[in-house]
Amino acid sequence: MAELDPDRPGELVIDTELKPAGEILLTLSGELDLSTVGALEATIASITAKDPERLIFDLSGLRFMDSAGIAVLVDTARKLPVQLRDPSPIIRRVVELTGLSDVLPIQS
Amino acid sequence: MGSVTIAMGGHEEAARASASREPEHPEDAVRSLPAAGSLGRWRPSRAAGLTFLIGLLVTGVLVLTSLAVYNRSERRLLNLRVRELSLVLAATAPSIQTPLASAAELANATGGSAQKFQTFMSPFVGPGRQFSSVSLWPLGTSHLAPSAVLGKTPALASMPERARQFFTHSTRPGVLNLTGFLNPTHPALGFDFSAAGRVHGFAVYAEKPLPANRRSKLEKNSAFSELNYALYLGHSKRTSDVLVTSVKRLPIKGRQASDVVPFGGGVFTVVVSPNSSLGGTFFQSLPWIIAVLGVLMSMVAAVMTDRLARRRVHAEQLAGALDRVASENRRMYTQQRSIAQTLQHALLPDVLPQFAGLQVSARYVSAASGIDVGGDWYDIVDAGDGQLLLLIGDVSGHGLSAATTMASVRHAALAYAAQECRPATVLAKLSNFVGGSAHSYLATVLCALIDVDAHRLVVASAGHLPPLLISGEEGHFVEFEVGVAIGVAARSQYQETTIDVAPDTTFVAFTDGLVERRGEVLDTGLARLRDAATSQKLTLDELVAKLARELTSEDHRDDTAIVGVRWQN
Repeated sequence: MAELDPDRPGELVIDTELKPAGEILLTLSGELDLSTVGALEATIASITAKDPERLIFDLSGLRFMDSAGIAVLVDTARKLPVQLRDPSPIIRRVVELTGLSDVLPIQS
Repeated sequence: MGSVTIAMGGHEEAARASASREPEHPEDAVRSLPAAGSLGRWRPSRAAGLTFLIGLLVTGVLVLTSLAVYNRSERRLLNLRVRELSLVLAATAPSIQTPLASAAELANATGGSAQKFQTFMSPFVGPGRQFSSVSLWPLGTSHLAPSAVLGKTPALASMPERARQFFTHSTRPGVLNLTGFLNPTHPALGFDFSAAGRVHGFAVYAEKPLPANRRSKLEKNSAFSELNYALYLGHSKRTSDVLVTSVKRLPIKGRQASDVVPFGGGVFTVVVSPNSSLGGTFFQSLPWIIAVLGVLMSMVAAVMTDRLARRRVHAEQLAGALDRVASENRRMYTQQRSIAQTLQHALLPDVLPQFAGLQVSARYVSAASGIDVGGDWYDIVDAGDGQLLLLIGDVSGHGLSAATTMASVRHAALAYAAQECRPATVLAKLSNFVGGSAHSYLATVLCALIDVDAHRLVVASAGHLPPLLISGEEGHFVEFEVGVAIGVAARSQYQETTIDVAPDTTFVAFTDGLVERRGEVLDTGLARLRDAATSQKLTLDELVAKLARELTSEDHRDDTAIVGVRWQN
């Protein structure tokens, strides 16, 4: 199996990091869309089983996110506090235009 | 509400179940392969047979070549050996000639003194010595007979006629002359020497016995031990002329070489043949080694070729099976895609309602590929009192699940629209309907109440992109408060924005497939849409068709819905 490469179109790399104070940092790089969203769902499912205080999504390396990706973030936000960190203007605008700025707050 | 969610889950389960059935056919296709492992009776492939034949052919050529090389070198060596042997034999002539010549000189000088002759020659005569008999013959007399004899009586003495013939005709003075007594009882070789230049001088005649059966083997350590030989008197190779040989039966058979050995005034003929390989046993057995190795290697090559050929056949069969799997997958994929598309198109309005004073046009563009038929939809509903309600939405995700979810959301929206025309209320009710419970989809919905006569729009958005308003050559996107998408949370509240429009205003609502591009901020796509929509004056149908054609790129991954509305005055 080839190594996942976030620079290749249509691939998503997920990096999980446990932070103190019950936070979990999920760094997403690549593209989050219908074809890659399953991997994120699986990761989040295993993380929420650990009952963290908060999930932080580092989106600095995320180039694209479609409505399926947003849906997973929103679904996660229904279960526990979620924050987005450092989204690109592209992602930021998607969140704004879909009226989700409150549901998916962007860390300042 | 809970039951609705369960119903939706049911759809998804059905979709999953249908997906899990997919691999059955491919597995069958793979299983239908002829089992390559159980070969049954082994039969070599054609390629293996051919390889073996070629191997044998190459081996044959190599064997023949090495045989030819071997034979040539053996012949060459044999020629060298016979030449050497001939030189060695010729070199023995002086050892015979010298005592005879000296005795002849002595006889001439002493007037044929028998005593002096015997004294001089006695060391050379007798058993184990050089000659068995030596005799002194006065020449030029009418009756030829030896005047002195040492050792046995010479055979020549008992044959006067032959002696006369020999001394008067066959011999030459000054050289060693030869004669053979090759009858089987007492074979011997006779040597004669008489000094040159004397008319009535003396001839010294010596005889050397030959083995009775003419057999004389060379000693094992002799320089010529690897040769069989036969030595003939004169130029003859007749068995009757053989002097001595190492073989039982003459003539010598097989590979042989011969040479003529000058010996005094006469000649011997020597014929040799190798009794073993002259070049060594390795070179003798080399053709056999090549033959055995060649056959073995041909067999190995044939077996390997056979294996490779079988592997290829297996790979081809596998490829064929995979092809069948792929085409089966393609078929199912196409089928599923067409099911989803059929479903979706069935859900879209066939005919848009007509309203006085308002043109309506809509387009739906399916994603370029994949079974990922989107969850986009639109509806235009007559709300009475010269009003109509426009709904456009996009359920996240693709495929059957999205299409079925879209169907339920859409029908719920239609139901709410029938009860209540306020866009914010419709969206709020929808958000309650879908709720905020565990499901992983969202729906963005735009709801617009259009008052035709009043030239007024009331718009509310649940996470949906803003619609475009075109008036003359100007276009701008409606600025409003965007509420959360449907499905984020139950009991979401939505803000309405009321807009008064000028006559001939065009209102274009759309789903994100029209403006969303990877690696691009949405605003760029929105600006592209605005520019395309205002670049030229078109009828509404032309405008919607143009947007659908130009703004959905060839590789668009998302479905796109476009609804346009234009006030006729």
